[in-house]
Amino acid sequence: MSERTILLVEDNPNDEALTLRALKKSNILNPVVVARDGAEALDYLFSRGAQEGRKPAGNPEVVLLDLKLPKVDGLEVLRQLRADDRTKLLPVVLLTSSIEDQDLLRGYALGANSYVRKPVDFNQFVDAVKQLGLYWLVLNQRPPDSK
Amino acid sequence: MRLLSESLHDFAEATSDYPRLLSVIARRVAEIIGDVCIVLLLSDDKQSLEGTAYHDRDPEVARQYAALFERPLAIRDPTLAREAMQSGKPICIARLDIEQFRDRTTAESYELHRRIGAHGVLVVPLRVRNEPVGSISIVRYRPEHTPLDEIDVEVASNLANHAALAISNSRLLHRAQREIDRRVQAEAALFEAERLRRAEQDVARANRFLDAIIENIPDMVFVKDAATLAFTRFNRAGEELLGIEREQLLGKSDYDFFPPAEAEFFIQKDRETLASGTMLDIPEEPIQTARGTRWLHTKKVPILDGEGMPVYLLGISQDITERRSAEAQLLRAKEATEAANLELEAFSYSVAHDLRSPLRAIDGFSQALLEDYGAKLDGEGHSYLQRVRASAQHMAELIDDLLTLSRVTRAEMRGEWVELSDLARAIIAQLESFAPERRVNIVIGNGLRVSGDSGLLHILLENLLGNAWKFTSKRKDAHIELGVTEQDGGKVFFVRDDGAGFDMAYAGRLFGVFQRLHHVSEFEGTGIGLATVQRIVKRHGGRIWAEGGIDRGATFFFTLADEVTTP
Repeated sequence: MSERTILLVEDNPNDEALTLRALKKSNILNPVVVARDGAEALDYLFSRGAQEGRKPAGNPEVVLLDLKLPKVDGLEVLRQLRADDRTKLLPVVLLTSSIEDQDLLRGYALGANSYVRKPVDFNQFVDAVKQLGLYWLVLNQRPPDSK
Repeated sequence: MRLLSESLHDFAEATSDYPRLLSVIARRVAEIIGDVCIVLLLSDDKQSLEGTAYHDRDPEVARQYAALFERPLAIRDPTLAREAMQSGKPICIARLDIEQFRDRTTAESYELHRRIGAHGVLVVPLRVRNEPVGSISIVRYRPEHTPLDEIDVEVASNLANHAALAISNSRLLHRAQREIDRRVQAEAALFEAERLRRAEQDVARANRFLDAIIENIPDMVFVKDAATLAFTRFNRAGEELLGIEREQLLGKSDYDFFPPAEAEFFIQKDRETLASGTMLDIPEEPIQTARGTRWLHTKKVPILDGEGMPVYLLGISQDITERRSAEAQLLRAKEATEAANLELEAFSYSVAHDLRSPLRAIDGFSQALLEDYGAKLDGEGHSYLQRVRASAQHMAELIDDLLTLSRVTRAEMRGEWVELSDLARAIIAQLESFAPERRVNIVIGNGLRVSGDSGLLHILLENLLGNAWKFTSKRKDAHIELGVTEQDGGKVFFVRDDGAGFDMAYAGRLFGVFQRLHHVSEFEGTGIGLATVQRIVKRHGGRIWAEGGIDRGATFFFTLADEVTTP
């Protein structure tokens, strides 16, 4: 996949808008696909349902995953990704409001690559997104495509 | 004559021993005259004749005579002894016609004499001061023996006189002895009675003592007979508990007072206790009383005799009804608390998630407004939007601090060794990284090692050192120290600064939630930090207090329990 897509899984339109703004302000110009609940995210990642035969095909560069989601929650999405050969090595960053120990532990236990708490201060949020982009889209060597 | 004088000598010697004297007389007379000699004596009331001594060369014959006189003869029975005593003269039948003899003696006597073939009888009366006291009877039956003659009568009378005198003396002596014995015995009996009376008094005293103890024990005490399981002892606490007077209860069993199934249970436990020979503990048993169902914690103990056999069953029952319902209430309260805690947990979770997200929108879109439409706003417009952002961020801090406070209260404690010095250095390094321009002298004591939960202790130091850092921010050359001193033999840790300090008059309010002693314009903060610190210290079994003065700095002292155990 030539274009390094970012999949943002976020149900809150405000957070979606702010995240997109933060990406833009951080000069991250990669295409962003937004899934608004866990089921949509899984359909996209496994190219099924409405996303069957989607173009472009293939895995995104990184998934920014919220934990609290309608239908299928973030941890369940993560579990299914790690259970599937196609997505088990896909970088997943949990981007959430929660700093409850149990969420952190369960997130890492299910194989999250990072856990980032969304700060309230927008400037800090932009900083965080900038660092995420720098790390996952520039520095990090993605695993070889399993296809 | 030699035999005779020897006999008299023997009589004199035997005087002090009355029974022996009589047998000496019988033996001597039998030897001298022969064959059989019987000594009969008049009873004290003179109504009967008693055989007292018998002799014959052949012990079997002597025994037969003894058997004949086993029962005393009534004085009115026809006997030669009576005839001789009445007449005061010897009766001698030299050639006995056994059939004529029949009328002058008892049937048994006749029978014995006929059987052994008696052929001569001589009876001499024993008289003392002209009063008859008995007789000496001589029977000849051996075929080779010559018939009785005048000399035999003479010798027998002579012996009888001496024997009577000896008997009389001996009797007096014997009576005196008996009197002495009687008096000694009476005295001994008196002494024994006194001893018994004293022992009974002791037992009664011990019993009263025991009764007083049993009576005043606040638990029901009862004693049952091991064989019948009937009540034999019962105390006042028991009367009050069951509403049954002891007079009604004693001598009766459980079946008389309690429903059959309940009585059966009590009895079965009694039997178990008696069979095992050891104490039985019944932690909970219901009992029907005048006040309704009560619950008892009962101990049953077998009381054994010297051979280890149970004689009584002792029971002690504590009324645990109130305690039991209090425990049940406590359990319900605990369950309610746990449910409330779960609810709180869910609440905290949603606060963390849901309240922060609108704040993020408020802050983010305010910033977007500033960036994208800043040109269209004047200075006041900019300042308002900055206030909106600052408020949103302050509220986020409040939420975070409240969540920390709630987590500190709910979190499970881990007991581990924690190096406070290392924690403090890491916290200070972070504070310095946020404000590299500040000049602060930091002193951290070495090797401050405690037992506790490292996560909670980190929050504790973060707050105390953070406060010190914050309240010294207006000082050019600030000092902050973490150390330890001793007080009452225990370790007291302290965090000291030379910052803004506080008025000791308000020291009591320092640790309350949302209590602030400074204006937000002076020093920012949420007023939750010290409340969190206090909860952490309390959860570590310690104490916290503060000393300070306005512009003279503040010192926070805290103690921690020596060993924090994980629950």
